Amino acid sequence: MSGIESENFDGAILIRLSGEVDLSWSQQVRHAVLAALESNPIVGVELSEVSYIDSSGIAALVEGFQTARARGSKFALVSVSDAVRAVLELARLDRVFLIVADRAAMLG
Amino acid sequence: MSLARRAARPPAAAQHADAARTLAFLADLSQAFAVSLDLRKTLPEALKRVADFMQAEGASLFLLEPSTRVLECRICVGPVDMTGVRLAIGQGVVGLAVSDNATQLVADAVNDPRVWRAGDEGSGFVTKSLLCAPLATAAGPIGAIELVNRRDGQAFSAEDAEMLRLIAAPTALAINNARMANDLVEQQRMKREFDLARKLQKSLLPKRRRGLFPVLGVNLPAHEISGDFYDYFELADGRIGFVIGDISGKGLDAALLMIRAASLLRWAGKDGIAPGAWLARANDELCETTHDGRFVCALVGYCDRDGNNIQFAGAGFPPVLVYKRGAFSEYESGGPPLGIMAGIAYDAHDIALNGGSLYAFSDGATDVRIADGTRLGSKGVRDLIARHATLAPEPRLRGLLSDLKHLKLVDDTTLLLVEKPRAHNAQVLLEHHMPARAEHLRETRNALRKLLDQLGIEPALRDRLVLAVDEACTNIIRHAYGAEGHGGIGLRVSRADDVLSFELTDDAPCVDPTRMKPKPLGECRAGGLGIALIDTVMDTWHVEPASSKCGNRLILRKRIEDKGYS
Repeated sequence: MSGIESENFDGAILIRLSGEVDLSWSQQVRHAVLAALESNPIVGVELSEVSYIDSSGIAALVEGFQTARARGSKFALVSVSDAVRAVLELARLDRVFLIVADRAAMLG
Repeated sequence: MSLARRAARPPAAAQHADAARTLAFLADLSQAFAVSLDLRKTLPEALKRVADFMQAEGASLFLLEPSTRVLECRICVGPVDMTGVRLAIGQGVVGLAVSDNATQLVADAVNDPRVWRAGDEGSGFVTKSLLCAPLATAAGPIGAIELVNRRDGQAFSAEDAEMLRLIAAPTALAINNARMANDLVEQQRMKREFDLARKLQKSLLPKRRRGLFPVLGVNLPAHEISGDFYDYFELADGRIGFVIGDISGKGLDAALLMIRAASLLRWAGKDGIAPGAWLARANDELCETTHDGRFVCALVGYCDRDGNNIQFAGAGFPPVLVYKRGAFSEYESGGPPLGIMAGIAYDAHDIALNGGSLYAFSDGATDVRIADGTRLGSKGVRDLIARHATLAPEPRLRGLLSDLKHLKLVDDTTLLLVEKPRAHNAQVLLEHHMPARAEHLRETRNALRKLLDQLGIEPALRDRLVLAVDEACTNIIRHAYGAEGHGGIGLRVSRADDVLSFELTDDAPCVDPTRMKPKPLGECRAGGLGIALIDTVMDTWHVEPASSKCGNRLILRKRIEDKGYS
C-alpha cells in the first residue's frame, strides 16, 4: 500500500515512499520532504517501491530539489523504480535530479 | 373666414364658430388620410378639400425628392396644371417655404420678387396672391402646399396663413407614414428575395453521398446568404469532379453571381477536360458577362474513386493544403481569379495523396479573427487541421467549423476535403465514472490499465496513456472544480480504426481553453507539468464546452499501431 517511512542514519535522512503517488497524498510527500530538509544536510527519497507517480508527486520532488539547492544541502533520489524513471524521462527531469543506486551512494 | 362672413356675426361668436369649423375640417382631413396608405388615392382628394375649405382658386402639392433635393409638383387642383413642375430649394415661393421651413404669404404676387412666374406664362392665368406652407417633419420639410388666389379676389391674410400651417401638419404626417410603410414593404420584399436566393444557393450544393465517397464539403455562411459554394459530381469515366469557389463582395449581387458561377463551373467541368482548361473555359465565359468589378476565386479538380490521384487548378484561390502524417504540403493557385481578364491559361497540379488528406478552404477560414483581433492565417488553419486530424471526415469538418465559429467569423467559410474513403466505426470500449476527488483516481487508473492490457497495448505506452488520463482527471479536480467544487468525472474510451479517444466530461464551470497551455518540459518547476505531460503523450487534445450552460469535455487522442485488436 501507499506510504511514507523515514529513517535517520549517519546525519542523513531517507524517506521511503511506496505505492502509487498521486494527488490524494502528494501533499504529505511534499511536507515530509520539506520537513526533512529543515534539519538534515542530506536527504534521500527512496522510490524502489513506487509503482506510479503523477505530476503532483514529481512537483513535490522538484520542490525538494530546489529547496536543497538554495540551502546548499544534498537531495537525491534513491533506487528509482522503472515506473518513476519513465515519468522522469517523459518530463525530461531525469538529468536534473541526482539519482543514485542505493543509500551508500547517497552518502558518498 | 372671409371678411364678409366674419362681419355678419359678433367677433367672439364668429371666432368660436370658425374654430369649430376648422377643427372639424382638420379631423376630416386626418381621417381621410387614415383610410388608406396609398397617397395616389388620398392626396388628390385631400388637396381638393383644402382648396375648397380655404376658398382658393388653385392648390398644389410639392414633394422634395430626397436623393436629388429637387421639389416637384406631384398634385395640382385648379385652373393651371402645375403637375411635374420642378423647383430647386429656395426657388420661388415654394422653394423659400422649404428652405426657410416657414409659411410664405404673398399678398401682391404681381410685384413680389419671390414669385416664380413661369407658370403663368402662356396660360392666360394671373397669379394675384399666394400662400405656401412647408410640410414640416422632425427631420425637416419634405415638401410644401401652395394655394393660389382667393376666390373672393382678396389677398390671403395672416389668418389664412395660420390655417394653412395647421392643415399642413396632418398632411406631412400622412405622407411620412405612407413613406415609412413603403420602406417596410420594400424591406419585406428584399427579405423575400434574400430567402429565395438562399434557397436557390442551398439547392445548388451537392447532396451528401452515402457510403464510401472521397469528397466532402461544408459551408458556414457568415451572413444570411453566402458568396461561397462547393460542388462535386461523378463523370462517366468514374472520376469525381469537385469545385469550391468564393465570390468577391457580399449581398444579393454576390449571391446571384455565385449561382451563375456555380452553374458555369459545373457545366465547364462535365466533359472531364483538364483542370487548367476547365478554369480557362469558365473564365472566358464569365468575362463576357461580368463587368461590375466582381470576380470569382475558385479551385476545380478531379480525383479517382479511391481519393488518391488528384488533378486540380486554382484561380486566385488560397493555397491547397495536403496533410499527411503530421506534415503539410502547400499547393498554390495556377492563375488569377475568374472574371477579370479573358484568355488566361491556368497551371494545374497532379498529385498522389498516398493516405494524405487534401483541404481546400475559402478565404473565410484564414480570415477568422482570433482573440487579439489578428487573422487566424494559414498557420492557424494548419493547427486546427492537425488537431482534428484523427477524426472521421464528417466530425472532422464539423469540428473545424465549430472551432472557426467559436473564433469570430468575418467571412463565409467553406471547406472541401478529399481523401481515401474509409469505414470509420467508432467503438466504445469503456465508460467509467468517478467522483471528482483525489482518492478515487486510483480506481480510474486501474480500470484504464486493465482495458489497455486487454487491447494488448505494450506496457510502456499503456503507462503513459494512464498517466496522461490521470493528469487530466487531476487537472479537472484541482482547476475545473477547484477547492470547494464537487461533482463527477466521466471517462469514455472509444476507438475508431487505429485511434483511441479518451473523453473526459465534468459539470464544472466552463474553463478557458486558452489558459491551458503546456509549459516546456525539462524546466525544473513544480507547476504546469500535468498539461505538458498530456501534450507529450497524446497526439492531439482539446477542451470544449460540454453544453451551452456548464461543463467541459476534454478529448485526448492517440493513434496506436493497428495489430488488429478486437
